[in-house]
Amino acid sequence: MDDYKFLFKVVLVGNAGVGKTCLVRRFTQGLFPPGQGATIGVDFMIKTVDVDNEKVKLQIWDTAGQERFRSITQSYYRSAHALILVYDISCQPTFDCLPDWLREIEEYASSKVLRVLVGNKIDREDREIPTHVGEEFAERHNMYFLETSAKEAENVEKLFMQIAEDLMKVSRFLCDN
Amino acid sequence: MSLDKSKFESMQRDIQNELEKLKLEEETLFQDLGNMLNQRLFLDSKVKGLAKLLPTLKVVKHEAQDLVSTINDISESSEKISGKIRSLDAARSHVNECQQRVSDLIDLEICSQGVQTAILDSDYEKGAAHVHRFLSIDQSLLHRTATDMENLSGMQKSVRTLQDAASQLQAIVEHKFNEAVNCEDLVSIERFFKIFPLLGMHEEGIKALCTYLRTKVAATAEKNLKSAITTPLSDKRHSVIYADTLTLLFEGLARVVDTHQPLIETYYGPGRLLCAINILQKECDIQMKRVLTEWTRTRQINKKIQIITDLSRMSSSSSFSKLEKIDPKDLDILIGEITLMHFRTELYFRFIQRKVVSDLEVGVQDPDEKTKVLKSLENLIKNSDLTHSKHELLLHYLKLEQYFMEESVAKAVSMDSVEPSQQTSSMVDDTFFIVKKCIRRSISTGSLDGICAIINNACRVLENDFCDVLRARLRQGYPSGYLDLTQAYNVLQTSIQQGRLQASDTEQTRTAFLVALNNADSSTEYVDALCDSVLKEIEQALPAMNNNERGKLESCLSGLSSVTTNLKEIIEYGIQQLRVSAIKPRINPWVDNFTSINHQLTEDELSAYEAGESFVQTLIMNLETLLSLFKDVLTTANYDAFIAVLTTEVTQRLEKVIMKSSFNRLGGLVLDKEVRSLAGYITATTSWSVRDKFARLTQIATVLNLEQVAEFYDYWGDHDGALTWRLTPSEVRTIMALRSDFKVEEIKRLKL
Ligand SMILES: Nc1nc2c(ncn2[C@@H]2O[C@H](COP(=O)(O)OP(=O)(O)OP(=O)(O)O)[C@@H](O)[C@H]2O)c(=O)[nH]1
Ligand SMILES: [Mg+2]
Repeated sequence: MDDYKFLFKVVLVGNAGVGKTCLVRRFTQGLFPPGQGATIGVDFMIKTVDVDNEKVKLQIWDTAGQERFRSITQSYYRSAHALILVYDISCQPTFDCLPDWLREIEEYASSKVLRVLVGNKIDREDREIPTHVGEEFAERHNMYFLETSAKEAENVEKLFMQIAEDLMKVSRFLCDN
Repeated sequence: MSLDKSKFESMQRDIQNELEKLKLEEETLFQDLGNMLNQRLFLDSKVKGLAKLLPTLKVVKHEAQDLVSTINDISESSEKISGKIRSLDAARSHVNECQQRVSDLIDLEICSQGVQTAILDSDYEKGAAHVHRFLSIDQSLLHRTATDMENLSGMQKSVRTLQDAASQLQAIVEHKFNEAVNCEDLVSIERFFKIFPLLGMHEEGIKALCTYLRTKVAATAEKNLKSAITTPLSDKRHSVIYADTLTLLFEGLARVVDTHQPLIETYYGPGRLLCAINILQKECDIQMKRVLTEWTRTRQINKKIQIITDLSRMSSSSSFSKLEKIDPKDLDILIGEITLMHFRTELYFRFIQRKVVSDLEVGVQDPDEKTKVLKSLENLIKNSDLTHSKHELLLHYLKLEQYFMEESVAKAVSMDSVEPSQQTSSMVDDTFFIVKKCIRRSISTGSLDGICAIINNACRVLENDFCDVLRARLRQGYPSGYLDLTQAYNVLQTSIQQGRLQASDTEQTRTAFLVALNNADSSTEYVDALCDSVLKEIEQALPAMNNNERGKLESCLSGLSSVTTNLKEIIEYGIQQLRVSAIKPRINPWVDNFTSINHQLTEDELSAYEAGESFVQTLIMNLETLLSLFKDVLTTANYDAFIAVLTTEVTQRLEKVIMKSSFNRLGGLVLDKEVRSLAGYITATTSWSVRDKFARLTQIATVLNLEQVAEFYDYWGDHDGALTWRLTPSEVRTIMALRSDFKVEEIKRLKL
């Protein structure tokens, strides 16, 4: 059962309702869940993927965006290999909160953590954050950047696979040295 | 010419081949023919047998045809019979329906006559029973009967009477129920509660009762909260009085549910409990909020949380802090109260769930309906204010507990002390006591998310705060130079006891170093034990964990157990420090003495050498002194690691000085003996096998101890007496060359 060589912890954070749970469900179960409620505390999901013919186990922690769960969710930052910070491209306030999230990450996460900025819900017509604005923000803060749609399954697979590949590269590099 | 000949020859060969083939074919044909002839007799008899059977078959065919026609007849008549039965069935159900209609009509008549009298007599049970009978009549059937009947007006009158009576009774019962509530007339309350369902007013009845029960719950809660507020400080429940108040609220509600559930089930039927609980939950939400508000105010929760938040912000931005810290001890009782409050809430939810589910098991069979009810139960719980309050409690708990853990561990570290004759210092026991206490307290909240968060936090505190201190102490290094360690240790102890620190900085640093090293080792055991016991306790507290929850927990626990990886790195770092500063400088001169000794001995010199104190005796004595300094001050595991490093150093150094010496036969003999006794000595000091570390050295001694070069073959090669060599052929030659009595050409000639 445990025939994997690499195990990585990926933690999703971001305001409530930006679509973290939908992104995870889309990736792990291949569906867009209808009307599931807000996440309580943290959810935990596992998916094993193949990268360069190696089994890579991704342990995905889907955190609750609501403020009252912050004490729970923060405690998972420290052991994360990758942090996905999600905002909703059709909702300016979720973008405006990014600096707060970065402060939290700075305080609780390892300095080596791989950080990815994700603008979700690109299927929506009422975009408020242009792509280049997100891109610039990510660049300024040394993060990868990707725009996704959990609903239309756009870039979701790519997001997680790229993280898996990147983490594997880093871990190979550390092994070799 | 020759070409033609060869052509001819090949043709001849072909013909020959063809002939062979034909011959072979002929032979097979003959054989086949023979076989057929042999079978002829057998086949003949078979054919005869078949011919005899033929007339019998004709008879069978005739009989079968007869059978088919008989069966056809039977099926035809059975078809006719079943048709008759079908029409009989239809007739019977008509009769049944007729009977039903007649009895309905009779009942209708009786009910319409009885209902008014009953109302007038205030016999509401009887009246309601009539209405109930009326309502249970299939109304569409009644309609059909009406169109079929001649005496239409009589029936219509009855129906109208009953309909009027029903609405009249409904109004009366509602009114009477309210009246009973106003006079707190419990008997009447129960009486009229039982009448509601007879009038088809199930929901109204439950609502009326629960609204009444709400007022009772509210009144009791009000009283309890007042008494909580006025509880004097001296009361021994004062520190958990709000947890007690919440408990009273939940227990009161549970009692209400328990006492009324049989009543509801009996008179309203099963499957209706959720409806009641839904209404009661509103009161529960309100009262819980009031308790929490009062608790927050009295216990100054917001202020405390604010200070803690500010402090954590301060410490991350600047070391200078103007804020007065809260003593973690002062939070201890408060944290206990929160966990209690959280757990009680959790228990109450579990109670509701259990009740509704068992009510469902009895009353609802349809699986779709079941999932629907369960879903609405889930929503009721999820959307209740009580759930929100529970989350808020957990949030407070986690903030306070994290602060408590960090500050207490910091305190344990700053108040660290070593008892005489102890290998570790107080910070290890204290830290793990605190961490365990916090994790156990988190278990008592009953929330898996809470437990996981505290485990994660424990991991952070141990890996950062705790390990950092050990690392920092080891980084100070172990000062080299000659010393009597036990003495240093005693000096440090007495000066600490007498309140003056006289021991020199060096001695203090040494002790601190060794204690830190021991602390790291004993911490690895603590971590393992902690993981084991915590897992067991959680499994007991949360027996119904699903696979996903278990995975979550296991992931967090594996983070905790990997703290040992950090600790092992720390130990390795410390041991390497000791190698550089305590082992190497001491051992090198002792071993180097080897070069000042003559290894080309005559028989007389040998006797003299053996009579006096030999090199290895001196070395062992010195090692003994060195080891005795560390034996009692290091933990067993650390002492073993120390000896391992020491052994490597001694053997490597000895190898080096051997290579610088030159030997004769007797010198080699002595060396071989000395290596053996050295290995013997070290084996006796430790629990692991040193053979591996001595392998090269022993083999070098073996080579130097040879009678003559050729004897080496006894040990080399793949025969039984051969050794598994750690030396390369070129090393063997170099070592042999150390023997002054071996000839260079002979060594060169060795086939290795
Ligand atoms: N149009 C569109 N809607 C989306 C997308 N992803 C999520 N949503 C919707 O956004 C809402 C919130 O999605 P969730 O995945 O629950 O959000 P979350 O970030 O997990 O929220 P919390 O658990 O409260 O932190 C849901 O109604 C989803 O249907 C998307 O890609 N496109
Ligand atoms: Mg979610």
